[in-house]
Amino acid sequence: MEVSNDSYSRRLKLLCLGRAEPMSAWLDETSWRWPLFCCLVIVLGCGLYGLTVGLWRSPLQSVFTGLKFPLLIFLTCLGNALLNGMLGQVLGSGLTFRQTSLAILFSFTLVSLILGAFSPLALFILYNTPALESAQRGTGHSLTLLTHVLLIAYAGIMANHRLLQLLHKRAPSAQSARATLFAWLAGNLFLGAQLSWVLRPFIGSPNMPVQFLRDEPLEGNFFEAVWNTLKFLFLT
Amino acid sequence: MDPDKPSSSLLSQEETARPFAQAGARPDPAFQFEPFPGNPGIGTVVEALLKKPGSLLHELSGPRRNGILLRLLVITTFCALIYGLVVGSLSGGTQLWAAPVKITLGLFFSVLICLPSLYIFLCLSGADLRFGQVCGTLLGLVSLMALLLIGFAPVAWIFSQSTHSVVLMGALHLIFWIIALWFGARLLWGLLAYCKSPDSGQVKVWVILFVLVSLQMTTVLRPLVGTADTLLPTEKKFFLAHWISVMEQSGR
Repeated sequence: MEVSNDSYSRRLKLLCLGRAEPMSAWLDETSWRWPLFCCLVIVLGCGLYGLTVGLWRSPLQSVFTGLKFPLLIFLTCLGNALLNGMLGQVLGSGLTFRQTSLAILFSFTLVSLILGAFSPLALFILYNTPALESAQRGTGHSLTLLTHVLLIAYAGIMANHRLLQLLHKRAPSAQSARATLFAWLAGNLFLGAQLSWVLRPFIGSPNMPVQFLRDEPLEGNFFEAVWNTLKFLFLT
Repeated sequence: MDPDKPSSSLLSQEETARPFAQAGARPDPAFQFEPFPGNPGIGTVVEALLKKPGSLLHELSGPRRNGILLRLLVITTFCALIYGLVVGSLSGGTQLWAAPVKITLGLFFSVLICLPSLYIFLCLSGADLRFGQVCGTLLGLVSLMALLLIGFAPVAWIFSQSTHSVVLMGALHLIFWIIALWFGARLLWGLLAYCKSPDSGQVKVWVILFVLVSLQMTTVLRPLVGTADTLLPTEKKFFLAHWISVMEQSGR
């Protein structure tokens, strides 16, 4: 199989540009160097962004979040690797297990690039957010949360758009490409949400101590917490 | 073919005259991507910013890029300082030096904050550009803004000498700034046309980000128009909250 001679920095640019042809060719490479480079980009991009997420609470929380953010990505990729590979084959994407994992890794690499580029913006927003010591710290926490949700959602949407382009290139039909993307997306969101619950806190609640993980991280789950919040809001 | 070489620099002679307007529409002479006729002095760069932004974009991908970047930097700094002086003339005193310095620094901080996201957004739009080209275009955007603000400066100065209203002057400067940005953003659309990018949606999102960052920057560096006890604010505020509080104070 032909190996692309583009430098890795050029490949990152092609990933952003959404050039399905070279992206498709990378899936057929057997070398581990490019996937490892993507992992490094995820560590740097998401790590940098994670630092800005936790910085509102404290510098220590910032370091913790900088470590946990890439960890969340890797655990989601690993946890769903088998399922995503199976879904890819069942839904006729034409991708092997390895290629499925690589395609998802590429999309997370793009997320990391976008979030890394948002880091100066996130720092500026942080600078303008009411501090933890101020009377408006509740507003500060909500503002931080809302901003990061918006930025991460944007990065996620763009990355999935690129993933769909790649699937369109490889899958035999547009329908199977879409079905595969939605199946992967559903699986990754489901596991990712729960993993983010386990790895909490990311921003850090103003009323709770700074910790790498909460005292009993595996207690409860994301969906139960959302359900309880909805019950609290609408039924009490 | 050099993979790092942008596709845009590989335009044929015919393509360099490709207009900014869509195919079939009347060509826009401002966006003909041809080189500067002679050496790019400050006057040539100013003229290109105003009349032939297409030439500027073309030069930013060529070997004379660094010299042009330097000239753009000088133009932006000079124009922002002058306009800042006009802004500070409403209050006089400390504001005569503080406002120009703050406006110039604020402009460059906004550029630095938004530059990485602009590069990524342009890539996501399908524009195959080098980082230097993006830097140059963004600098060109703020240079054009600063130049246009200089054009508005006499009007702003007349008003600042005939009123003491911070709200009125703030609104006036804001209107001038929005008009300047409107024209400055043309460089971005030109850049997209230059590299034949089909999608401008991402860049529109970025323009909104840039507007928000710039507006917040004016609040971070307040006071710019009026006066205050301290040179920089002691309280963090969102720009809308700041505007509302200034309007409430002025209404009392």
